[in-house]
Amino acid sequence: MNARAAFLIIALLSTGPAFAQGPASAQIKGQLRLPEFSGLTDKASESVNVTLGPELLGMASRFLSSANPEEAAAKKLVASLTGIYVRNYTFDTDYAYPKADIDGVRRQLSAPGWTRMVETRSRKENTDVDVYVLLDHGRAQGLAVIASEPREFTIVNIVGNIDLEQLHDLQQLGVPDLELETTKKPVPTKPAPAKPAEKK
Amino acid sequence: MTENFEDELRRALRPVPAPEGFTERVMRALPERRTGALTPIAAARPARPPNYWQRLHAPAALAASLLLAVLLGQQMSLRNQQREQAAGLAASQELMQALRVTSQKLDLAYQAVKHPPEAVVEENRS
Repeated sequence: MNARAAFLIIALLSTGPAFAQGPASAQIKGQLRLPEFSGLTDKASESVNVTLGPELLGMASRFLSSANPEEAAAKKLVASLTGIYVRNYTFDTDYAYPKADIDGVRRQLSAPGWTRMVETRSRKENTDVDVYVLLDHGRAQGLAVIASEPREFTIVNIVGNIDLEQLHDLQQLGVPDLELETTKKPVPTKPAPAKPAEKK
Repeated sequence: MTENFEDELRRALRPVPAPEGFTERVMRALPERRTGALTPIAAARPARPPNYWQRLHAPAALAASLLLAVLLGQQMSLRNQQREQAAGLAASQELMQALRVTSQKLDLAYQAVKHPPEAVVEENRS
């Protein structure tokens, strides 16, 4: 009887972590677990918080006009994506944001599959920008951009089958040609000036 | 003694015919019966064939219910459509905003790669 009880306890204890891992394992490949940053919205002078899962992304895509070149390019890019998550906060004071949260996101990008494509550190402007790509059989399945400046930080996570060529096509939005290695020969283009982002 | 008592009791309890008019008096003393309340309506009212409007009551009510259901359904569908359109437009605006922020940050990385700090210093010196 005691042996049975002990076996039951051990079995329950061993299945506990499996249940706890349930939601995490259900996460889509390439999707990062972004912190809530709920407390920062009041603290920040400007914030952009975009969470577009597969359903909303599909809905948003249907409402993009093909007549507008900017929207048409976005529509083409979004067709193969399953999620776009953006957190962007601007503050009136320097380093008012929790650096630990950003480091936590950076740690997720050290997982196998993720490759740091660009790493820039500017001591002059105290600006760090990292661009990561999740490669799977030579195809980009996820993109992450982490940019931290003294008064602003941004985390971008694009999930899905990312066609880097199509990313080049988004130059109407100011997306520069990062001279990425793609299957097709990249067409050399001049980078368009970045448009100022509309903020909430 | 006991026999006498029994005889007296038997005499006292012997059946006695009711006095004359007893039944009538009792019947008069009873409350008057309302015969009308117990009469069935169908029996009270002579059967009349329903007129044109009476015959249309049930189908008209059914048609009105159907019309109301269709109108309500249409209204709900229209509202859902409007809600979906508003959500879709909001989502598309969010999407464009997200792509703008992404492009801005990718441009930041691009500028840093294209113009490393040394190069910037060199340019400033010249």
